[in-house]
Amino acid sequence: MIKFFVYGLPALFLALIVASFLNVVLLTTTKKNEFSIGMLGEPSTLNPIKAAESAAGQVTGSIFNGLLKYDENIEITTDLAESYVLTQTTTVFFENENTALTALLRLEASRSRWPGWQLSSVRLEGSALLIKLKQPGIDASQEIVGMFDGKVPSQVVRVETKEPPGVALEKIRASIGGGKIVRVWVEGANAFEVTVLGAEEDAKTKIAGFFPKELEAKITIFETLPFLAEPEVLFRLRQNVLWHDGEPFTSRDPAFTFRALMDESVASPRKPDFDTILFVETPSPFEFRVVYRRPYSPALSSWMMSILPAHLLEGKPQEWWVENFDRKPIGTGPFKFAEWKTNEFVRLDRNPIYFNGPGPWLDGIVYRILGDQLALRLAFETHQVDFWGVDPWAVSGFAKDKRFELFSMPGNSYSYIGWNLRRPPFDDERVRIALAHAINIPEMVQYILYGHGTQSTGVFTPQMWFFNPDVKPFIYDKDKARSLLAEAGWVPGPDGILAKDGKRFSFKLITNNGNEIRRDIATLVQDNLRQIGIEVKIEMYEWAVFLRNFINKGEFDAMVLGWALGPDYDQYQIWHSSQANPEQLNVVSYKNPKVDRLLEQIRQEYQRTKIISMAGEMQETIYRQQPYLFLYVPESTSVVWKDSFRIRRPVDGGWVDTPIEMTKAGWSYYSDWFYRPEFASKLPPLKEPSTP
Amino acid sequence: MLNFILRRLAISSVLIFIISIISFLMIILAPGGPNPWGELNPKITPQVKEMFRKKFHLDRPIHEQYFLNMRDLFTGRLKSIKDERPVISRILERLPATLTLNLYAISISLIFGLLWGVWAARHAGTTADMLSSMGAFALIALPGFWVAYLILIGLVNFAGVPVLGTQSYGIEFPSFANLWLDRLWHVVLPGTILALGGIAVQSRYIRATVLEAMNEDYIRTARAKGLPEETVFYKHALRNAVRPLITGIGSLLPALIGGSLIIETIFAYPGMGRLGYEAVLERDYPTLVALNFVVAALILLGNLIADVLYAVVDPRVRLE
Repeated sequence: MIKFFVYGLPALFLALIVASFLNVVLLTTTKKNEFSIGMLGEPSTLNPIKAAESAAGQVTGSIFNGLLKYDENIEITTDLAESYVLTQTTTVFFENENTALTALLRLEASRSRWPGWQLSSVRLEGSALLIKLKQPGIDASQEIVGMFDGKVPSQVVRVETKEPPGVALEKIRASIGGGKIVRVWVEGANAFEVTVLGAEEDAKTKIAGFFPKELEAKITIFETLPFLAEPEVLFRLRQNVLWHDGEPFTSRDPAFTFRALMDESVASPRKPDFDTILFVETPSPFEFRVVYRRPYSPALSSWMMSILPAHLLEGKPQEWWVENFDRKPIGTGPFKFAEWKTNEFVRLDRNPIYFNGPGPWLDGIVYRILGDQLALRLAFETHQVDFWGVDPWAVSGFAKDKRFELFSMPGNSYSYIGWNLRRPPFDDERVRIALAHAINIPEMVQYILYGHGTQSTGVFTPQMWFFNPDVKPFIYDKDKARSLLAEAGWVPGPDGILAKDGKRFSFKLITNNGNEIRRDIATLVQDNLRQIGIEVKIEMYEWAVFLRNFINKGEFDAMVLGWALGPDYDQYQIWHSSQANPEQLNVVSYKNPKVDRLLEQIRQEYQRTKIISMAGEMQETIYRQQPYLFLYVPESTSVVWKDSFRIRRPVDGGWVDTPIEMTKAGWSYYSDWFYRPEFASKLPPLKEPSTP
Repeated sequence: MLNFILRRLAISSVLIFIISIISFLMIILAPGGPNPWGELNPKITPQVKEMFRKKFHLDRPIHEQYFLNMRDLFTGRLKSIKDERPVISRILERLPATLTLNLYAISISLIFGLLWGVWAARHAGTTADMLSSMGAFALIALPGFWVAYLILIGLVNFAGVPVLGTQSYGIEFPSFANLWLDRLWHVVLPGTILALGGIAVQSRYIRATVLEAMNEDYIRTARAKGLPEETVFYKHALRNAVRPLITGIGSLLPALIGGSLIIETIFAYPGMGRLGYEAVLERDYPTLVALNFVVAALILLGNLIADVLYAVVDPRVRLE
């Protein structure tokens, strides 16, 4: 008996262990017709309006569609919408009907200029003039309104209350149109904005009159507008779209999605993207109209937001969402949700009623949740996931191996050293430019990224359509750096360190620990600057401490950080002078009136050519002033087993069949049309595209 | 006996209360906070942050947060900050995986520990025994995560076998047996690594107690009676020497729970340990509060069971 415990059981266990090992080694199996993707983190939810992290975005991107999407060149195109039209209504208010009429006549008289302004029609409504423009924006309106006399400005009054305003808000709403109140926009339970005609003080008293004393309303003038510019988008929706449960998709769905986004009980992190919207409406089941409170051109891209099914979610409480939808969503996308095993995988199945059919070709997608880079690599090497985002140091090893294919593209992010412009000597532009010449960035790319990156030339990255390729980087030149520093008064002191007025050039460079790349950057900077006589002390802090005690407070000399950028050109929060307070993102306190103006204008501009020129000017101006020492844009590389997928996609009524190809939006942009060569027989026959 | 158990339970509940306060303070006072969208995100306005903090009571003073967390924990309403699901169900759905892994690890710790200990005791004093002792101490001393990485990378590079998760993916299994063997492999691998330290520790206990027993008078008596050495060893010495195996279960439990935090994370294994690790990174306070509570309760319970068992098998021990 006891001998069995001592010898028998171990033998039994050993046999099991060996059997299971032999099973995985010797097992010959057939691959499933699916795409397996490794993820670092687990999605928190598959409800696209609640999720903020990239893991969730990756999965919901295959389940849901937006009205719009990015095409392979990262430019906006239609998805659930068939087409869309942008227009704007500019409303000018006048003292009385006579002055309004005079203005109308003046406008009629200058009909020849209407095409230049993109003006389509004009209408008189009481003492207000409503001007319809074919192109949203602020410039044309300013020009037009400049011709008029007797205008009345409108005040945007912001009201914040401790308790929901209830009756007061209802009364304000009821008086729209009748008197001086023109529009109301509710931000949340305790904050809203009312637009009132007249002078600032009048507007304030007018609004205060609605509130009983005990409500404690905080009333402030948010802005004064010479006229109201209200852009609008009219989406025409596809009529052949079905939800995964078979219900038709209609304009009710985007309208519901918008309301859900604004609902405070949802607490959507995407809410700010939709805060410029005044209201949405559904003129017909396949038309969806959005009216904005002010021109804000990046707002269009917010309609890439995944659309939720109103027929399932409308009227249901949050708890219901969490239990019944957030972990088993219903969408319109190429794949439908099948199974989620926590901390293991999320599996999606092919959607046979996909509106953009007959694809997808794959039976499904599996997102495996693996935790870290090494796990992803091990899973990739054992064919458990189909690709791996390679670390820079490992790229050359994979590149040499014939079994793999590599896809590289510049990422939409950059690393930088931020100089605290509040503190000397970094408040001196000459010093910053000298530092830009003193740091060998090509060497940094070589040693830290193993050559897989390019020197950054400012706030935008080369992948973007508004990037300015004419900005030339500062060249590494120690002598030039020395002479520039000497010009600024910094000359070598007795200990070899530069000094000015008895003060040594010595500063602290901080970064977060746990990030080896930033640590290496700091070390190279320390070495480069020592060579020209500047002393750098490196300090590293835990991420949360780093942010809370140093970055958010602006308490640092210089720091190493990076920005991962969104696909639009609006960087108001990072560079505008009004954003330099504690907790805000202009952490280096960069202030330049010209850049402020550009930042304000570019977000109101809808014309592509003007956006490109403004963005270019902004990039150039900021780069020349070096508030950051812009380091590099890293390249991201994916490795795929050779021949694991091909693409067969529709082009001009036929099919083209190609190996996986690289696009600006990445190698997996066409993943809806991926297929495994072993399963090629399931595909429709190849027909050459009809060339027009 | 009953008296003893009741008294221990009373002490344990006080202990758990103190543990819950200390662990809550450690969790909540650590720098940073839950922040699902990343700290420096230009798209997130202060209003959104405020909305989020309100939703999860993060704007309240610490003692109120503690109270709210505890109240919700005991009424089963405590919800994760990450996905707003009840933490109880988040923990329960991971319990089977963790139990499987730990049961396997405990079993092989005891089984192989016994084998090794017996072997070492029978060869006590020889060079082979010295080498095995060195091996055992090495296994105790080596950090589990380091061994795990070595084995993982070795297996992938030289055998090319899948090593992560609970089964191999993306393939059709020819038969049901293959699927189950594959699943077994995905428990065996992390479980064995998790148990390496335990095996070594158990083997040392067994070796020591067996050698001690071999010097007892009753062994000499047995030998004097002329019993064969085989019988003396297995029937007389070993029977009396296996007591540490029983207490071992109690002492293995905390170590295994601590170890599975790391091993589960390395092996992408969907258990409670990984849940805890991720909750720490995400500052998911409610999940951490609940997990700490469950783990503390499990460990106290484990100790209690070990004490009781000890009294059951060893008549010399009295529980008063």
